[in-house]
Amino acid sequence: MKRIFNTLQKKYVIFLLMIIVNGCSSFKGPLYPEVIFNNRQPLISVTYEYGEIELILPLKYDAAVPDNILFKIYAQGDTLHPILSILQESPKELLAYLPQGVLDIQNNTNIIKIIPQDINFDPLTVRFKGIRFGRLTLPRKTIKMGQLIVSGTTYLNKNDSLIGGVSVSLQSYDNIIHSTRSNESGSFQIAIPGEYKYADYLRIVVGENLIFKPFIEKLDFSQNRKMKMKIGLGPSDDMKEPLYMTNKNNVHFRESPEIGSETLFLLKEGEVVSVDKVTPGEYFGFIEVSLDNNKLVQLEGWINRTDLRLLTFQNIYKILID
Amino acid sequence: MQMNHFLKIVYLLIIGYSNLFSQIKLDVSTIPKRVDVYLDGVNLGTSPVLNERIKPGLHKFEIKKKGFAPLAYDLLVNPAQAIKLDFFLNPIYKIKFKTEEKGLVFELNGEHRWDVPFIRLELEAGDHFLRVFKIGEIIDEQTIRVDEPKRFNYYLKKPLTSG
Repeated sequence: MKRIFNTLQKKYVIFLLMIIVNGCSSFKGPLYPEVIFNNRQPLISVTYEYGEIELILPLKYDAAVPDNILFKIYAQGDTLHPILSILQESPKELLAYLPQGVLDIQNNTNIIKIIPQDINFDPLTVRFKGIRFGRLTLPRKTIKMGQLIVSGTTYLNKNDSLIGGVSVSLQSYDNIIHSTRSNESGSFQIAIPGEYKYADYLRIVVGENLIFKPFIEKLDFSQNRKMKMKIGLGPSDDMKEPLYMTNKNNVHFRESPEIGSETLFLLKEGEVVSVDKVTPGEYFGFIEVSLDNNKLVQLEGWINRTDLRLLTFQNIYKILID
Repeated sequence: MQMNHFLKIVYLLIIGYSNLFSQIKLDVSTIPKRVDVYLDGVNLGTSPVLNERIKPGLHKFEIKKKGFAPLAYDLLVNPAQAIKLDFFLNPIYKIKFKTEEKGLVFELNGEHRWDVPFIRLELEAGDHFLRVFKIGEIIDEQTIRVDEPKRFNYYLKKPLTSG
């Protein structure tokens, strides 16, 4: 019995030693040394989120506000196909949302065309460099009325020859808004801000630097912002020589030479008189008066000799003495 | 001298600012969670990774976790406001493979071989291709699907049984 017990005890010790040496693997089996992959394609989800471009262009209006404005937004220098067109009542700012990636972010080839729906305003163009996405606020743009432009030529009434260097100014009453001179070929162009469209007594004054009476005409831009004028200066060819010119302002042009006769006009300095008869103290002659339809008529009258000087066409420019 | 230094700082700030906006917001999620995410070899941290930045272009993502097949993914990132990536890691299951047949050699996926009647394997979830050889000849071919920890019993010319 004791022998049997000893044999069992030996077997138990051997069994325990096996477990200690080999561990549990003697029951579980050997473990393959590598993880076995099957190279299955992993499941991956990729989601892009594309942003918007919030484009803001603050606007300011000078003097007048157009009723509506058409905005056209072009990208990457393509001025044929706008990426967005918006017609709206004149806003304080243009707000537009554009998809990501449409704008040129390297150069300022993106364009906003501002087209006021009003003939008094000119279209404007804003060039800008884009961003990939996010908010883009551009510098404030001022929308002004289009300029009032007068262009034309200056010539001598006497022989229709063009004369250059003639002063041209646009005035509201006697306030000079802008002035220029005709060029060597007698052409001129003068522009003033559009808000003067509504100025009182807007007029053009031409030839103040000439010896003749200057040409003055009231301007009306209500129908058109651009005007072309041919401005004749000096006496016409109808005025027969000898020609004299008033040498001061407020010269009496009277009906008859007698003292106390009625004064028909008070002439300004530079008014040209075609003298026909002479008395010891008076000249009888004709002056030219322009009617509303630009037609010239001659009126006769008497002028004191001391108020006139002989007119020569050798130098028609005033001599300025500093 | 100070002016030059100031201009350099302003320049660096401008460059940094423009770089910030040329980058794309990056979020990375994984199943399972709390996995180390590497972008171009740099550890971004443990998933979920939120509000990181990535530049447009080609990038390599690597994800490793014990008990799951390692994942490497090359991605060409397009210009966008944000990109979100979800990775689903493939688990590795512990499989017991047993047969009572004698003299057989088993081969899995064309490269892993054993000849013992009972073995423990670590297999990536999915299908695996089993070949059985006897005296150098193929005597059986089967596809086994692993979708949970299993014990397979192989009988010659019969489909594998699990249990």
